[in-house]
Amino acid sequence: MMPRRLLLRRNWVLSAAGVAGTAIYLFPIYWMFISGLKTPAEIFANPPTLIPLHPSLAAYDYVFMRENVLRYMRNSLSIALPVTLLTVAMGAMGGYALSRLRSRLVDLALLVILLLQVFPEALLATPMFIIFKLLGLLNTFAAVILATTSKTLAFALIVLRPMFRQVPIELEEASMVDGCNRFQTFRRIVLPIMQIPLIVVGALSFVQAYGEFVYPLTLLSRQELQPATVGIYSFVGAEYADWHRVMAFSSVFVLPVLVLFLLLQRRIVAGLTAGALK
Amino acid sequence: MNRRGWRFLRGRHPRRRAARTVPVGSRSPLLFLFLAIPVAYLLALVAFPVAYNVLMSLQDVNLGNIADLLRPFAGLDNYRAVMADPEFRKVFLNSLMFVGSNVVAQVGIGLAVALFFSQRFPWSQGLRGLLLAAWMLPALVVGALWKWLFATEYGVVNFVLIGLRLVPAPIHWLSDPSLSLASVTIANIWFGTPFSMILLSAAVAGIPLEPYEAAALDGAGPLQRFRYITLPALRPALLAVACLVTIYTMRAFDLIFAMTGGGPLDSSNVLPLFSYQFTFQQFSFGIGAAIGSFAFVIVFGVALLYVSTLKREATE
Repeated sequence: MMPRRLLLRRNWVLSAAGVAGTAIYLFPIYWMFISGLKTPAEIFANPPTLIPLHPSLAAYDYVFMRENVLRYMRNSLSIALPVTLLTVAMGAMGGYALSRLRSRLVDLALLVILLLQVFPEALLATPMFIIFKLLGLLNTFAAVILATTSKTLAFALIVLRPMFRQVPIELEEASMVDGCNRFQTFRRIVLPIMQIPLIVVGALSFVQAYGEFVYPLTLLSRQELQPATVGIYSFVGAEYADWHRVMAFSSVFVLPVLVLFLLLQRRIVAGLTAGALK
Repeated sequence: MNRRGWRFLRGRHPRRRAARTVPVGSRSPLLFLFLAIPVAYLLALVAFPVAYNVLMSLQDVNLGNIADLLRPFAGLDNYRAVMADPEFRKVFLNSLMFVGSNVVAQVGIGLAVALFFSQRFPWSQGLRGLLLAAWMLPALVVGALWKWLFATEYGVVNFVLIGLRLVPAPIHWLSDPSLSLASVTIANIWFGTPFSMILLSAAVAGIPLEPYEAAALDGAGPLQRFRYITLPALRPALLAVACLVTIYTMRAFDLIFAMTGGGPLDSSNVLPLFSYQFTFQQFSFGIGAAIGSFAFVIVFGVALLYVSTLKREATE
């Protein structure tokens, strides 16, 4: 055993190393935010300034006024919120069923779900395009919502199954003895207990859907429907880019994700570790 | 006595607890419905598109018959055309390099960082969680951000390297064909490592402490303890995380699309992007689908490996 004084000193050395490492690692995110606050002259300054000398909102002004960042954000939200609802609703049903049913069929279903989450969406884009063309849904949010949910749903089921398992069966038995049927038991007893895991899965689904790029790129050709990911791409795809404006656009776009992350950080960490390796 | 009554009784008689292998409602029709809805959804919007893609790879598809199901059968012509294309071989190797480096780096760095934060010190948990912020960003934004960091003229990476006198002149990270793949790989490692690290942290936390105490008594040094206790204990988790990183990295599209578009000269192109370009830029649907099939085989094989590691872990 180390003497207490030495142990304390060792701890503070580790903390300092941890803070330094985290700061270096997260530097690109810091750089994104301050690049958006720089003037064109300062963004091309040599050497670059770590803190903007003349912080300016000109780039923000530009992306709000000229680039319609709010319309892009509204489109992103119009896609991400329904995806979240659909994913949580179907994820709760499926996760609950997977945790309670005992049959060969369930093992098969779980295998199918695990295997179906692995296909790259860029490779499913063509069939999706054809399916939604036949359904007459090209250039609608519905097409992007349905396609994106196919990506978030498998993940939600895998994360939720072990969490539903932790709901004590005694509670459900008691509820059914009291005369509730299975659906009422699910709605009134199980769902309220599962509120927090469902919020975590909802948040992760929201983040995925909010950042989705391939499906809107493929299924929406009308600019006024495109979400912010496609908007940013049209900005940076060219050889030359106005970086302070791109970074201002990106900063506005990622703000909801980062806020959600900071609010739910601990629970997201717990949710990820519960699902992926079990 | 009805089933509900049985359960009620069992709950009150501790002696009969052992008989409780069939939990309440293990065959309820509502539960089967609950399971059927998401599974049907996934079959319709994932399994069907995958099958459709394989079908297209065997057909002669053009803009005229794109919406038909029955099209002229082309046999393996598309596959032959793909295999004969030297660009495909290049892109296939790029994919292997990209995925391979990501697996090694994400698992290696992820494990090192997980072990670092597993030593309890002030703020260790908070800092570890904070790293996940990068993983939460949309991949397209990460691509845009790294394109800016790697910019030749005003990018901060070149400024730092020149400032530290590590390189004499700005590096063309994204426009030099010999560097572009390394650049997108670095960006993707930055993006993906926190996820591997968080998963490995959970596995590290699950290692029992007794073997370490015994080893310390026997005089084993830190390296020996790592080699003979930590690594064997983590083997299943490491394999599972390596599979997951492979699956997620094979999916990479947005980040590369934003940074280089696969160029210059396909030097940073990977299979999904290459397939997408054939389909949506050249309208060679059959070729695009055939390229997709190669990627499908890889991810599907890795997915089977992943499932079998999970099974093994569950039975151990």
